[in-house]
Formats: sequence, structure tokens, C-alpha cells
Amino acid sequence: MIDEALQYDAIIVGAGHNGLVAAAYLAKAGQKVVVLDSSSYIGGAARTAEISPDYLVSTAAHLISAFPRKIEKDLKLAKHGLIWAVRDMATVALDLQGRHITLTSQGKQDTRVMSTHEPRDGDTWSEFDRQISKYARLLGRVLDEALPDIGNDVSAYEAPLAALRLERMGSADLRAFLRVVPSSMAALLDRHFEGNVLKGALALDAVIGHHAGPFSPGTAFNFIYKKALATRGQGLSYPVGGTGAFAEALGEAAETMGARIRVDSHVEQILIEEGKAVGVRLADGTQFRAPTILSSVAPRATCLNMVGARHFETDTVRHLSRIRAKGATAKINLALEGLPTFENFTDKEYGARLLIASDVKTVERSFIAAKRNELPLDPVLEMLIPSYHDPRLAPMGHHVLSIIVPNVPYEVAGGWDARRDELVKKVIDTIEQYAPDLTSKIISGEVLTPPEIESKFGLVGGHWHQADMSFDQLLAFRPVPGMANYASSVEGLYFCGAGCHPGGGLSGLPGKLAAETVLAQRKSR
Amino acid sequence: MTEIDFIKKNKQEPDRKNPLDGPAVEPDQAWFEQPASEPPFARHVHTTPLHLVASTESRTNDWTVWNGYTVANTYTHIVTEYDALRVNAGLSDISPLVKIRISGKEVVAYLDHLLTAPVGRMKTHDTKRVFVCAGTGHLVTEGVLFRLAETEFRLVARSKHLDWFLDAGIGFEVIIDDVSGTLAGLSLCGPRAPLILADAGLNMAADLRRGKACWEEPARMPTYVSRTGLLGESQFELWVDPEDAPLLWNLLLTAGRRHALKPVGEAARNMVRLEQGVLLEGYDYASAFASCEALSPATPYDLGQGTHVALDRPTFNGQAALRKLVASGSGRVPSAFTLMGEEGDRPGAVYANGHHVGRVTSHTWSPSLQMHVAIGLMDIQGLGTSGVYTLDVMTGNGQAQKRVAQFVKRPFLHNSAAFPAD
Repeated sequence: MIDEALQYDAIIVGAGHNGLVAAAYLAKAGQKVVVLDSSSYIGGAARTAEISPDYLVSTAAHLISAFPRKIEKDLKLAKHGLIWAVRDMATVALDLQGRHITLTSQGKQDTRVMSTHEPRDGDTWSEFDRQISKYARLLGRVLDEALPDIGNDVSAYEAPLAALRLERMGSADLRAFLRVVPSSMAALLDRHFEGNVLKGALALDAVIGHHAGPFSPGTAFNFIYKKALATRGQGLSYPVGGTGAFAEALGEAAETMGARIRVDSHVEQILIEEGKAVGVRLADGTQFRAPTILSSVAPRATCLNMVGARHFETDTVRHLSRIRAKGATAKINLALEGLPTFENFTDKEYGARLLIASDVKTVERSFIAAKRNELPLDPVLEMLIPSYHDPRLAPMGHHVLSIIVPNVPYEVAGGWDARRDELVKKVIDTIEQYAPDLTSKIISGEVLTPPEIESKFGLVGGHWHQADMSFDQLLAFRPVPGMANYASSVEGLYFCGAGCHPGGGLSGLPGKLAAETVLAQRKSR
Repeated sequence: MTEIDFIKKNKQEPDRKNPLDGPAVEPDQAWFEQPASEPPFARHVHTTPLHLVASTESRTNDWTVWNGYTVANTYTHIVTEYDALRVNAGLSDISPLVKIRISGKEVVAYLDHLLTAPVGRMKTHDTKRVFVCAGTGHLVTEGVLFRLAETEFRLVARSKHLDWFLDAGIGFEVIIDDVSGTLAGLSLCGPRAPLILADAGLNMAADLRRGKACWEEPARMPTYVSRTGLLGESQFELWVDPEDAPLLWNLLLTAGRRHALKPVGEAARNMVRLEQGVLLEGYDYASAFASCEALSPATPYDLGQGTHVALDRPTFNGQAALRKLVASGSGRVPSAFTLMGEEGDRPGAVYANGHHVGRVTSHTWSPSLQMHVAIGLMDIQGLGTSGVYTLDVMTGNGQAQKRVAQFVKRPFLHNSAAFPAD
């Protein structure tokens, strides 16, 4: 069965964007690499597909915020077809009264916008922005390096704290930071602002993708972490052709550097011989051999399903099987015949990321509903009209609307088949409060509930980030204590997906850092 | 009309018509039952299936708690019972031990993953002393493993860690049950134990070699007899249905009358255990999950049980940590000391050439040796191969003293001349 042609230096399981980045870096360093993916396309959750003929949209992830310039340059992505349609996209928090708030990365302009809205918020915004940016920069430094492995016996808290390099902060800042870390986002916002719309939008930003509400402890840290990840990237960006085109560019880069990408190859088993990972077996029985296996599949599924629990010590199995990965996000994509008319919108605002969350309590209520396996009464949303920047996605004059619905339960009372339409109706009703003519413009649409995201993209639990990104599952605790350094406890088996440091989002960093770790360990041997 | 009739007549039925109330549910009387009242300060401990027969033998009303069960500490007098174990035979209740039944297609693979040494070479009715490690390499618990059939094992462990056994079974086709409540245990120990077994009609058991087990059926009570236990060569353990246990106890006592068999409590058993030089979980070290202090848990190497660890084989619990430990060469060694003194003396810290190397965790006055015996885990590097060993001793009348002790090889005293060290 073992074919000499199927002998590689490294096998990468999963052709998501992290898998492709890892493949490209390894191939660049002269390794013979193969990437295997179970679906018939590459990119994983970074995918562009048709809603209906001629209407293209990023099926799942629709924005890129943390992809470093360094990876783009290293892999020469521009040469392989990556064109940014928009960089540094603004965010608009929609207001029912039509007094929308536009947030850009320009502090001064934001302060002015804020002052017109709620005079005191203008004053506090600059202070808030300065503080959060400072924490984000500080935290950002540890996001593009591999973290030390804290192991089993070292005092568990030292390493992640050391990684934060807290001593670089002044004592006043440190005090403020330590107060923020365990806070809820609602408490942090209440300390600074008064305007409901602003608070609602920031609260939504803190909890989107998490199974948490703005009143949950630790959500302030989630917000800072998200900002920290963004410091690695180049602002909110959208590539021409959607996130699928981004993945295509990565795939092309990897192939140019010599990596082989093989789709429709479902890896069923990672082969272990004498305690070492030696290859993989596909569902059809084909075996690929390599001394190094990198899995961009979630660590839990990698270890417990592909490798088997017997190859890990029980402490590790316990940690792995208790990773929280409860999906809490749905996606709705609509094909529209023309732009919906948002009240009081200037032309520019159509091109922004749109947030609908009328206040903090609405965000919290949607989380409470999700906790009870119910649909939110009043959903909060993140939307994008990608065709505004990228007209080729839809026929002339037509548009696509990409909607992320956070706080949607994985299991809903009554079952998804009975309630999928209800979710869509609720979401459309909510948008219609701001854009009353939306329904009349809908041509077709698609909806992805968390279980559908699970089955379509192989994300266990339907979680976009493979594992919840809260403090206890980040930094040296990601994916589990004792395996934070991309290497698993099985020799030759590595993780390179969103389930490891620094986590989810289209950052490519887990893939890059995993590849670098593998190469460094090769060299030292 | 009596008062009760009046109340009955005027008693209002609850209004069931409100649709929100749902269908009428008859309240279960059990909901309103008061829990059985306990006198204040009562100890909430279980009794073993042998408790009643054991208490008829007790002349001292001296009890102790073992794994949450009440067992006799002494029945008559500690020295009488000690003599019985050394000279004739003693019968004890060991039902509080934790018994886990493990069965299924992959039971051997599971046990190889759980334990520090592989079990594949065990034959049916073989027994094996086994160690369960946590990821840190420290012992979760230790015990004796019995192979009851090709795909069925029983682990008799010192302490309860079902959660760990279950989690270790993730990914294996095995069934793991705690059967502690369905199995009583009796220990028959002493030079005349085989004779008593033969007199009681357990001829096959009487001829058992150390570490073997067999089925017997005295008075039609299915009994599993094994020649196992920490008290040495002359110890037999009998595993039996809880209902049959008191009958088996009486059967053995009757058969043992002419061999001067006596019921023996925990105190005397502990003295013999100490003379054997056996370090015991709960006395000399704590389970990895029960310890709050860095030095209280122990690795198999600390206990001198390195022969029970096979490192070079597929992943098992504690493998990575134990490998590191072996490479580093650090750790502790079980050490035994004898010292002169009075009966009430309590030894504590141990010094080798003036340097602190550990502390005594168990000690007793040995009636056979007529001196104090003390054991504990000592630092491997500090201990050295020779030197002057000093012990801090608190005397019975409250004086702190430093006393020179003899470093001796374990065991202090064999329970039987043929018995090798644990």
C-alpha cells in the first residue's frame, strides 16, 4: 500500500487558510509537503461560493482583520492574485433615529463624531481608545511568537503572565489593565460611555463569535484580545473575490513553492508507530507517509478522533475533551436586486462594516436566549455589502449582503429544521427597521446555522475559532496546557489551526508559527 | 361531628381547572419523608458487610475509619493480636478496599495505558501488584490486579478514583464499574493460615503459591481466594458476596479455633505492615489527587518500585514525567531506621550527617525486635550510602531529643522466612 511517491517531509491535514500558510512556509524552506483536505475546494471557512447563479459571496468568514503584512510579503501573495478591494474599512453603528456612528481608525475624526452624538462620549473616547490601543499593542507582541510550554508541573499561571511582559507597563497602566482583564465588557463600557448605540456596537464587537454576553466576566479581555490581533494585521480588509480568493492566492503561493495540494482526500487516521506520528490514512485506504504531520483540524478532533485517545496520557485527554467549543454564530447571505436603502446613509457608509445592536442589553438578551437554546427576540448583527467594493460579485447594479448573526444556539428548542426560517425572518425584520425596502430587493438567500457550519466546514461544535477564545483558552492555555508550543505530546504531530495560539480569525499566524516551530526543531536535531 | 370529620368536610380541594396547572400529579410520599435523624456529632461512616459479626468479637469497642468505613482498630489487645499474626493466625475485615471491575474487548490495552507496567502476560487467576500514575508521575493509587478471565480483570485499589479510571478509558472498548459494594473482603494471615484454610475445606486455596488465586466453594459460598496482601507471604485474601461474608467469617473462626485464630484489628495489622517495611498510601504518601503539599505524593521510584515501571512501550499515564525523572536521577528512596527508646516516643525529622533528608512518616514499637522501627521517604542525594543518621524524637513525656538511629534494610522482619521484600 505504501507508495514511494506518497513519501513526504510533512503532511498537512486540512487546507484551511492556516494549513495553506503552514504548507507555503514549509515548502519555501525546501520541505516536500502535501496538503490533504476532505472537501473538494481549499480554504476551509475562507470560501467564496454562489448564493444563486451569478451572486457570489464569502460563505462564512467575510472580513480579514489580522493577516500580517509579513506573511503577505513572504508568500508574495500579490503575485498570486491577492488584491485588496478595501483596506482599513470603517465600522458604522446603526442608530434607529438615523444618527449613525462611524468609527474609523483615525482617532480625531472618531472623537468629533462621538461628540456630536453624546458630548461626554467625545471626551472619554480618546482616553478609552488610547488605553485599549496600548493594551492591544502590548498583548499584540506575544501574538506573533510561539509561547513557552507551561507543561504539567510548573505553576500554571506564571507562563501566560510572563508572556504578557507586564513589567513593560507603567504601574498606573498595569493597575488599570489588571482591573480590565476580569471585567465584563458592559462594566468597562459603563465606566467610559453614555451613548447606547456606541456601547451596543462595542459590546457586540467584544462578544461576536463567543458564547458569551457583554455582562459575562472576561469579555473586556476578549475585546482587547481582538484589538491585539488586529494590531498584527492591516486594518479591516476585504479582498477582491471574497475570502475564497484569499485562500486561492494562498493555495497558489503554496503550490508555486512546491507544495502539493490534494482535495477530496479525507484523512481518517493519523498513523502512529512506536509513539511517533508516521503518516496518515485516507478514507479510501491510501497512505501518505511523513515524519511530520501538521493538523489544522481542531486539536480535540485531531487527537481524539484521528490519532486516538490511547496515544495520549489521561491528563491530556481530560484537557482536550473539556475544550469549550460551542458554536454560537450563524451566517445569512442574501442576493439583492439593488442596494437596500438605509435611512440617513451617505454613499460611503454602504461600504462599511455595519453593526446593529441598539444597546448593551439587547446584546446580552440575545446571549441569554442562546443560553436557553432559543432564538434571540431582537438579533444583533454584523453586516457587510461586499459587492459595494467588488462589483463582480453580482450582476451590474445588484448586490450581495453578508450577515453574521452572533449568539445563535447550536441546538435550538424545536430543532433547526422547524426554526431556520424563523431566524431568517427575525434577522430580516431587524434590518428592515433600518432599511425598510430590504424585503422587496431580496432575490435569494442562504442560511448557515451552527450545525450546518459544523458539517460544511468540519468545525466540531460549529465554532468558528475551533475553541472559544476566552482567557482560559488563550495564550499558553491554547489548545490545552502542556501543548501550547504547537507540538503535541506525540512526536512528529503538530497543530497549525485556529485551535492553537494565537487563535481564530483569518490571521494565518497559527499556520506560520507552527511551520516555524517545525523548522526550528528540525534544525536543532 | 368530630373535629376530624369537620376538617375533612371543609377541606378545600385545590382548584385543578386552571389549564396552566397541567394534569394533577399525585405527590409522592417520599418527597415529604424526613431524613432519618442522626444524633449530633455522629460520624457519617458506612459499615462493612462484616460489621455485625466483627462487633460481636470486639471486647474494646475500639473502631477506626478506613476509606469511609468503620472497621475494628483492636478487638482485644494490640499485642495479643500482633502475636496472633506472628505466631498463629489472624482474621481481619478488609472490605473497605476499593474494587473496580474492568472488562471488555480492549481491557488489556486499557490497563497497559492506565498502569505503569503491561499486564498482557498475566494468566487467568494471576495477580499483580500495580501502580496507577497521574500525568505528573505521582501515584494516583496502588493496588492488586486480578485476572478473572481472558477479558475480565478486577483492580483492588487503596483509594477511590473511579473518575480517573473512567477518563483513562476514553477511546477504549472497556466497561469500568466500581463493584466495591458487591464484594466483601477477608484477610487471613499468619503461619497457620494454610492449615486453617485446609480445615475449613478450602484445600486448593491452602496450596496456593504467593500471587496466585483460585475459586473455592466452602459451604456452597462462591469464594475467590488469593495469596496476596501487604502483610507478606503468609497472607490470604478471600473475596466473597456480602451476604455470605458473615457466614464465611464464622466458618473460618470455627475452623481456626484449634489453631488459635483470632480476629485482628487495624492497629496490629499496621504494626506488621511496618515491620515488613511497606510504605502505604494514606500513611507514608498521599494520592496525587489528595495531596496539597509537594512532598506528600510519591512516584513508583520513590517507593522503590522501579521494577514495576516499564517505560519503553506505548503511551501510558505518567510516562513522560517518569522518563524525565529517570533522566534527572533525582527523587527519594524508602528508608528504614531502628532506634532505641520507649514505647511512647515519636520520631520526626531525619538528618544524615547533620543535613535534613526527610521525615519519618510511619513508626511503631516492634514487640518482636524490642525497639522502635521507623520508615519514610528520604532524599536520594542527601542520604548517601553511609553516615551518621540522627532523628528528632518527641518522647512520651514531651521532651524533644536528637537520637542516633541505625539505617537498616527493609523489611525489618519477614512475616515468613521465605518471603522476599515487597
